[in-house]
Amino acid sequence: MAASLNNDDIIEELKLRREPAWSLSDHPNLIRAASVTVFLALWEIYGRRTDPLLLTYPTAVLRAALQLIWSGELLRQLLVSLASLAAGFGASLVLGVGLGLMMGRSRLAEAALEPHVNGLYATPQVALTPLLMMWFGLGFSVKVVIIFLFAFFPILINTASGVKNVSASMVEVGRAYMASERQVLLKVVFPAALPFIMAGVRLAVGRGLVGMIVAELFTAITGLGAMLTLYGNLFETAKMFVVIIVLGLLGVGLIQATQWLERRMARWKETERAVS
Amino acid sequence: MALNALEQEALAALDLSRPQPLRLTDHLGLLRASSVVLFLILWEVFGRRVNPLFLSYPTAIANACAQLLASGEFQRQALGSLQVYAVGLGAALVLGIFLGLLMGRYRLAEYLLDPYVYALDATPRVALIPLLLLWFGLGAQAKIAVVFLSGIFPVLMNTFSGVRTVSSGLVDIGKAYGAGERQVFTKIILPAALPFIMAGVRLAVGRALIGIITAEMFTAVTGMGALLIRYSSAFATDKFFVPVIFLALLGVLLSVAVEALQKRLAPWKETERAL
Repeated sequence: MAASLNNDDIIEELKLRREPAWSLSDHPNLIRAASVTVFLALWEIYGRRTDPLLLTYPTAVLRAALQLIWSGELLRQLLVSLASLAAGFGASLVLGVGLGLMMGRSRLAEAALEPHVNGLYATPQVALTPLLMMWFGLGFSVKVVIIFLFAFFPILINTASGVKNVSASMVEVGRAYMASERQVLLKVVFPAALPFIMAGVRLAVGRGLVGMIVAELFTAITGLGAMLTLYGNLFETAKMFVVIIVLGLLGVGLIQATQWLERRMARWKETERAVS
Repeated sequence: MALNALEQEALAALDLSRPQPLRLTDHLGLLRASSVVLFLILWEVFGRRVNPLFLSYPTAIANACAQLLASGEFQRQALGSLQVYAVGLGAALVLGIFLGLLMGRYRLAEYLLDPYVYALDATPRVALIPLLLLWFGLGAQAKIAVVFLSGIFPVLMNTFSGVRTVSSGLVDIGKAYGAGERQVFTKIILPAALPFIMAGVRLAVGRALIGIITAEMFTAVTGMGALLIRYSSAFATDKFFVPVIFLALLGVLLSVAVEALQKRLAPWKETERAL
């Protein structure tokens, strides 16, 4: 067997080497980039021609963004929004996981709470915002309550169903080794339910964000939602787009962060269940 | 078989005729019912004591409900909301399924459209409401747009991932037997993706309901959402609860209906995926 006759030579010899035809489908990012560029260009051209009260154009949005960042307004309102989101979400996390563990573990607690939970969960929470505004005023507290209400139920329901899914034999083994109820809860049930809880948290983050925007749209005093209402009333479309883009980025960022946390904290089970 | 003496003794010690101690876990349905009744009673008692501007109580709400239904005001507004909801959701379903099929089957369509789909899907739709009102005014058009935008993405994303999971073996066999592209679509891809599509529809129904309520609350001219705002600004708390209860029932009814439809249309796979 001659050393010179390697596969490449044979292929060359038989003229089997073919350049694969250049196909557009092999370059997804090229298509994406072209699509976005064309869209932005068309928007720019068309947007410049129409009434700036109604439609803006990309460069104007960019300018508005720089202006809002420079004046510090965007950052200030973002921090206000994030503070209420953190407070409301934190409360729903603590209460949702706590009550969920209780409802999953004790059939009595489940039977007592379930009708109320299901009733409130079925009610579109947006419909309750006017009532909450009546009760809590227009300040920070009403936002926290609304965000809490939006984010609470996915966490509660997922935690409860996660706890109910913990296999009974694991709990029994724990019991057989003389684990107390507290130890069963902390060392067996909670870790086993963690993947479910994290899936609930991921749903809750998105809903909490929606709750934050709704609350701020209606109270219209501080935060990003209030900026939307304000600039909408002033017909400053470019600034509205800046806020919408910031909210979109915030949504993506929060979801990514939760997914990262989910992978880190609940690596042992990738199942997720979106209870709806 | 006769019991031996030891067994008889044990049986006597058990004393089966003795009434079993009442255990709450044997009567969970009773516990549920009593929990609800207790809540309603407490609400009634407490609600009568506080200022009626802030909190109402069950009997007052029942009164308000009868009153609103008798005047016909409620039905008119509800019908208006439902019409807008149906139009917007119908458009969202048709276009969502169509675009989802297109993006799932053709790479080019996927790459052309997915930047916008992902960007719009990530943006909380409520944030778009002020902008949509600016563009479409305060009438039905803006509300339809909001419902449409709230409903389209769950359907589109689920259809898309449903089409992507159709095994290529199925499609290959279809092609081998001479099926045209049209037949591949209607006879292979659509049925295989249907369970996913229905899961998307279920999500969309709920999202669109939230969309229309928010839009109507924001415009505050017609519909259920407008009633909510009107009664809450008039501090008519008893009336306020009527649309809230209606919306809750509507939400439950819609999701039950979609679930039944899902079982009928796509009984072959119960998987669902909430993207």
